[in-house]
Amino acid sequence: MSSHEHEEEVLAPTPGARVTAFLKRRDVRVSTALGIFFTLVFVLLGWKFYPHWMPTIMSTDMKANEALMVAFTYISAPICGIVLGIATYTFMHRHKGDTPPEDGPAIRTNGPLVVTWTVVTSLFALLAIVWGITELNVGATAAAAEAKSALVVEVTGSQWVWTFNYPSLGIETHELNLPINQPVIFDVVSSDVNHSFWPVQLGVKVDANRLETTVVHTTPTKLGNIDIKCAELCGLYHAYMETSGQIMTGSDFNNWVTAQGGHTA
Amino acid sequence: MTTSTSSRSKSAIGGLIFVLIGVTVVSTVGFVLHSLSADPQKKLYATVNGTMSTPQGNLPHAFITEGVYPDLATARANGSGANNNKDWVQYGPATHLVLPQHAYVTMTLHVYDSGENLNNAYFGKVVGTVNGTMTVDGQEVTGIDPTQVQHTFTLHGLPTSTQDPLFVNVPLQRVATDDQDNFLPTKDAGTNFKGHTVVFSFITGGKGEYVWNCEYPCGDGTYQKFGAVMGQLGYMSGKVTVA
Amino acid sequence: MTTVEYQVSSRPVPNPAKSLITKLHMGTGMVVGAIFAFGTYFWLRSGEDMTVAHNVNRVLLISMFMWSFGFLIGIGAFIGPFRWLIGKDLTDEEQLFLAGDGQGVSRYFRYCTDHKVVGIQYLVGVMVMLGAGGTLAMMIRTNLLSPGSKFVTPVIYNSLVGLHGITMIVAMIVVSTGPFGNFILPIMIGARDMAFPRLNALSWWVLFTAIPVLCSAWFLGGIPTGWTAYAPLSVQAGPGMNAFIATIIIFAISTAVAGANITATVVTMRAKGMKWNRVPIFVVGATMSVALAIPAFPTFMVSMIMTALDRTVNTTFFDANFGGSGWLYAHLFWIMGHPEVYVILIPGVAILMEIVPVFVRKPLFSYNAAILGFAGISGLSGLVWAHHMYMSGWLPLLNGPFMITTEMISVPTGLIFLVILGTLWRGKPWMKLPMLSVYAFLWNMLIGGITGVYLSDVPADNYLHGSMYVTAHFHYTLMGAALTGAIAGLAYWFPKMTGRMLHEKAGYTAFWFTQIGFQILFLGMFIAGAEGQPRRVADYAHTYATSDRISTIGAYLIGIGMITLLWAVIHSWRKGDVAPQNPWGAKTLEWTVPFPVPLENFDELPVITSDPYGYGRSEK
Repeated sequence: MSSHEHEEEVLAPTPGARVTAFLKRRDVRVSTALGIFFTLVFVLLGWKFYPHWMPTIMSTDMKANEALMVAFTYISAPICGIVLGIATYTFMHRHKGDTPPEDGPAIRTNGPLVVTWTVVTSLFALLAIVWGITELNVGATAAAAEAKSALVVEVTGSQWVWTFNYPSLGIETHELNLPINQPVIFDVVSSDVNHSFWPVQLGVKVDANRLETTVVHTTPTKLGNIDIKCAELCGLYHAYMETSGQIMTGSDFNNWVTAQGGHTA
Repeated sequence: MTTSTSSRSKSAIGGLIFVLIGVTVVSTVGFVLHSLSADPQKKLYATVNGTMSTPQGNLPHAFITEGVYPDLATARANGSGANNNKDWVQYGPATHLVLPQHAYVTMTLHVYDSGENLNNAYFGKVVGTVNGTMTVDGQEVTGIDPTQVQHTFTLHGLPTSTQDPLFVNVPLQRVATDDQDNFLPTKDAGTNFKGHTVVFSFITGGKGEYVWNCEYPCGDGTYQKFGAVMGQLGYMSGKVTVA
Repeated sequence: MTTVEYQVSSRPVPNPAKSLITKLHMGTGMVVGAIFAFGTYFWLRSGEDMTVAHNVNRVLLISMFMWSFGFLIGIGAFIGPFRWLIGKDLTDEEQLFLAGDGQGVSRYFRYCTDHKVVGIQYLVGVMVMLGAGGTLAMMIRTNLLSPGSKFVTPVIYNSLVGLHGITMIVAMIVVSTGPFGNFILPIMIGARDMAFPRLNALSWWVLFTAIPVLCSAWFLGGIPTGWTAYAPLSVQAGPGMNAFIATIIIFAISTAVAGANITATVVTMRAKGMKWNRVPIFVVGATMSVALAIPAFPTFMVSMIMTALDRTVNTTFFDANFGGSGWLYAHLFWIMGHPEVYVILIPGVAILMEIVPVFVRKPLFSYNAAILGFAGISGLSGLVWAHHMYMSGWLPLLNGPFMITTEMISVPTGLIFLVILGTLWRGKPWMKLPMLSVYAFLWNMLIGGITGVYLSDVPADNYLHGSMYVTAHFHYTLMGAALTGAIAGLAYWFPKMTGRMLHEKAGYTAFWFTQIGFQILFLGMFIAGAEGQPRRVADYAHTYATSDRISTIGAYLIGIGMITLLWAVIHSWRKGDVAPQNPWGAKTLEWTVPFPVPLENFDELPVITSDPYGYGRSEK
């Protein structure tokens, strides 16, 4: 596949000399420098962007989500570096004017490069897959372990209000209050169309379906306010299908349950 | 050379004019849309009369009265009719309520519709009112049978740091029978209704924008009866401005 | 300045006098269509209780289909098939008339079988749709300028979101394969026309009939569902939803016809010697795109037919109360929905791959990798649909497998980057408008691709699903990459399609306004998404006010850029500089024919001896 002139190049000097010559080329050096620059930019972005903009981490799941997004940005930084480094270099050496530039080298392909590129991108993809699967597994294992001790909350999405039922405590509310460090299982249903239950700071999400219970679980790890939103367009007041809640200490939670007329477990 | 320069500057001006025209066209579309959606909801202001002593101190006492009508004819006969274009069940005389801030609001609802089951039984409870109660024809209750509901008044809003939370849910007891005589005021003209009068109070916080809607499935015939009238503003849903 | 002769033909203008065909055009189509539609409407409604939603839906849907059918009758689409029924066909003279030879501008308003006319029809149609969709986008962003939904009500906002979405999706599906796939592609492969010229005309005019239907949604109360039209919300929705359903069904017919036609053309009508490894890459991309659409769109059509049945005759496909399931809809929708984004993306990328070698004066780097990239994406795209359903609660066990297939798409996507970068490497790109778009593509696709990897990962999707982050991501791929590719194609082929050069200064202005506005708009949206703002909300908490305001400013810049581009197109089409036959010095076949392109493209069919990327000096 490789072109005629390319083979000649292969034959001439030793591989070491070729690499040295390659690395001494101006375009290689400048592109590499640019590539490193862009890599650093994206590393910086990964370091700052999500931690800065994402809401407070208030559960184990949210922590894992954010860590994953930061890590993926780091992983993709060198890819961005390569793409943007080469692109920027060629852009800097562009040809202006109304006539086409003279022809460049007739490089038809470069077998080893194509293979290397494919292998490397495959490895990156594999890393992402393995990371994701591991994370899923950790979540599933944790859920199984915590299932017995977990507080069950039945979440119902109705056009356009969320309601919460704590069957073990005998209370129903429109606000989602939870005790800290207590595993919680959300059994989510809808009384009409599809909704998506999203307690933002807890980093979990699951759709609410009519007559079909979907389950999601997490463990709140930080005290404070949480927002509960609907993440699936559900008609007229979809935007207003939000409510709030609190992660409370165990005793505060018990007091709240009692005040609501429930019985503490 | 000169001609080409002048033609070039001409085309630049042409381009600018075109862009301006384009922006104007898009803006016009915007204004049309904006005026179409200019609040279809008439406003109803609460009237303040005296003060009320509450755990939060003495607050102005505001009163507001609404009716819930099974159709436009009934609404009109009661001097109401928030929306004139459809023969749908509706609140009236308006669906955009304006309430004073930091006030004790007493709301009276005259209700004339029949009904049955709620999609979500939670809305059969009275939530967010003073003492968690309401009165139905003078009788104090904390909720009603979720199979005997005709509509609900459910007030909620976006939880944001810039406005106080406000959540009120009041289920409205259905009228006893589905007899048209209950609500065809041409016969009794508001003197002999078999409807109910529901009274409840809640306390507003600071300024804010909220919405309310009915949680009783009254958009007949469509999936879970939440289509038709339930998908339009100005009938069974609206705004609440605390000003 | 010389003027461009729009019609140069040595043949006498055909005049099959007395043939009905000569008397039919868009106007008669609209009249007959309107008669069919309103006739059906008033006839049907007289016997129905129109206070029942199901009856209203039935009457409206049938009327909409009758409009489409009537229009096609009125424009003469069925004259040929009807003649077949009675054992005849159109006469030669009539066929020549249908090809539009020598008829000037009027042929653009007729049922014209010339692929070049169809290409122009598509181009103008797509520009109208993009303009309409863009206007809706401006309205959406204006409403989000500040919290409180002060500009429009939530009812109108939801319709804006849904109709912006579907208008843009429809426009984007045909934006490359419509104008360039019809006008340029047959010339590129050295064919005299498409394989099925009448189907070609049919595909355009069927699509045309979908436009008024979609517009009617506004007058029927809008749609509350977004373009995904999730059931059961779509079952519950008001009469406007019928317009959506009818549009999709009509559109699916159009794409099926167009897809079969383009595929057949490329498979059977390539010039002598144009082996599969000598086919220009745009032809490969366009073919893969339409071929991918052929199996994908029927599921969308089926999902819409099922929604229509639920809405009209009380079937309960999606009604859980009677054993139906919303998940069924989600599956059908996304089995179309994910291949569909590649139906949009691939031809845009292929255009850019066609452009890079010409402007860098180097051969396309690793043609095989490009093919492999397209093929890999097409193949995998059929196996990834449920990544839209990670959070649906439907069988979470399968999230893992779908995550694997989805992330594997990054490998063929990587090949596409490699091909473009490899072609750029050691070249001095000639920085004309089409080439500039290549750079915009590299950046936008990089961002769109990487954010796609986050979203495909289930744990991250836990947070990001259904948020503004998703909206920003797919706009980077669909608009930043695919639309940028299509605009590059417009700048590149404008001389061949109109005989004139696209106004450069205006083009650059448009480019920078659009691209800078784009970055601002979607940077703001990424931030809003990371902060936790859901998609498709008319109103939002004050927390997101800053990022939303930034986004809106970006959107306005795009608006100005796009209007400038529109001016450039209109102005240049009317009085731009006359283009030489091959202004870019490209080696593909379309540049070997003069403007205006003769009716049958080539006097003598070309014979191909190499691929069209023979640029470059050999290195000694």
